[in-house]
Amino acid sequence: MQRRWLNLDSRLFVFVFIMALLRSTGGRTGRLLVLALLFVGCLESVSSFGQSLDTEFTFLLPAGTSGCFYQTATKNGTMEVEYQVIAGAGMDVDFTILTPEGIQIVTESRRSDGVHVVEPTEAGDYEICFDNSFSRFSEKTVFFEIIIEGQGGDVGGDDEWAGLDEPDGSLLEYKLDDIRESMDSLHRRLERSRQMQTVLRAFEARDRNLLEDNLWRVSFWSCASVLVLLCVALTQVFTVRKLFDDRRRVCT
Amino acid sequence: MGFRGVGVLLQCYLMLAAAMFFDLGEQEGKCIIEEIPEDTLVTGYFLLEPWDMKSVTSSPHLGVTVTVRDPNHEVLMTKRYGKFGKLTFTAHASGQHYLCFQSNSTRFSVFAREKLKLHLDVQMGEHTIGHSTAKTKDNMALLESSLRHLLEQMMYIIRQQEYQREKEEVFRQISEETNSKVLWWAVVQTSILLSVGFCQMKRLKDFFIAKKLV
Repeated sequence: MQRRWLNLDSRLFVFVFIMALLRSTGGRTGRLLVLALLFVGCLESVSSFGQSLDTEFTFLLPAGTSGCFYQTATKNGTMEVEYQVIAGAGMDVDFTILTPEGIQIVTESRRSDGVHVVEPTEAGDYEICFDNSFSRFSEKTVFFEIIIEGQGGDVGGDDEWAGLDEPDGSLLEYKLDDIRESMDSLHRRLERSRQMQTVLRAFEARDRNLLEDNLWRVSFWSCASVLVLLCVALTQVFTVRKLFDDRRRVCT
Repeated sequence: MGFRGVGVLLQCYLMLAAAMFFDLGEQEGKCIIEEIPEDTLVTGYFLLEPWDMKSVTSSPHLGVTVTVRDPNHEVLMTKRYGKFGKLTFTAHASGQHYLCFQSNSTRFSVFAREKLKLHLDVQMGEHTIGHSTAKTKDNMALLESSLRHLLEQMMYIIRQQEYQREKEEVFRQISEETNSKVLWWAVVQTSILLSVGFCQMKRLKDFFIAKKLV
């Protein structure tokens, strides 16, 4: 019978341990102590769960304003920011990323979409700003996505599995390993699919808005054109007639 | 609420603290647009904090009013929450939904124009990456929950794809309509031009004949 020792570095183990303690201890001070431990455990677990973060938002940026969003990032790992202007005349916006110290690491002016990968050299709140102050009348709808990846690429379930109790039988252990690997890779690929889907959805929304604008423009300007045509025709006839009507000094 | 519940809440709190946040001025509202297919359960976790953690002496009463609008701009849900909460709603129509957050905190008059931090995490579909899933030591239960999570992921992707296909149809329709409108207007304009031209010539000719100039 082979028994794997619990990986004592696993954050999950800390959490599980604390929950088990909570269940088993009695008495008020005991529980308070456990709660304190839980707090510490949470801090640990937050850093591991928070690493597989993927946030995406679409928001309206009124004309002449700027909007900023903040993302907490830890020291190691990467942060990928992707943005796209979905609607608005001109379809462009100024984009900046600032470090927690306030240094601009990325600045783009009047772009309609962009992708940036930032490697945080210091932990803290990174500021992602969109600026629409150059436009006086048109408001922009901006879609952006922040993907935070942990140290070793995508954080899948590696830490999760380490704290598991192995059942008896090495054959079952092999099968479990296989299942674990497949599930991890499946999870990672599905996450990637979901992210790509989000991006494609943003592209489609942008194209659709553009097309609806085009349709409105075609109808409006066609009507205007016809009206102008009719006005000009009437004016021409009227003017020519007037030329010959008022003055009687037309020679015959 | 037992200690266990407090522990779980604490973890949610801390997890949200690592999430993305943006600034919300006092009595100011900010809206987020989400494209949601129909019959989808949407869960949003949010946490409200003062901007400057150090400069707050008294703990003010923080609150936020959440308004959810459906694609027809009708209000789907309006609810007031405290500084930390979870909002859920089911989207009945597919399209762009607007989630608006407005702070209605009290006792802010001491600090004029105080900003607030709003941490936000919006997830769609059931069995979301639970911020409060209890991890058990049991092998099989963990395996089962992971499998279920994967299944939910796949269902979400499939549903989004279906929705995308519907939108693609609408897109195609608008495209065809634009095309036919362009053609129709061009034909109409040309015919009006020609007829007006003929009318003009005829009237002027009659006019000149009447005036005995021709």
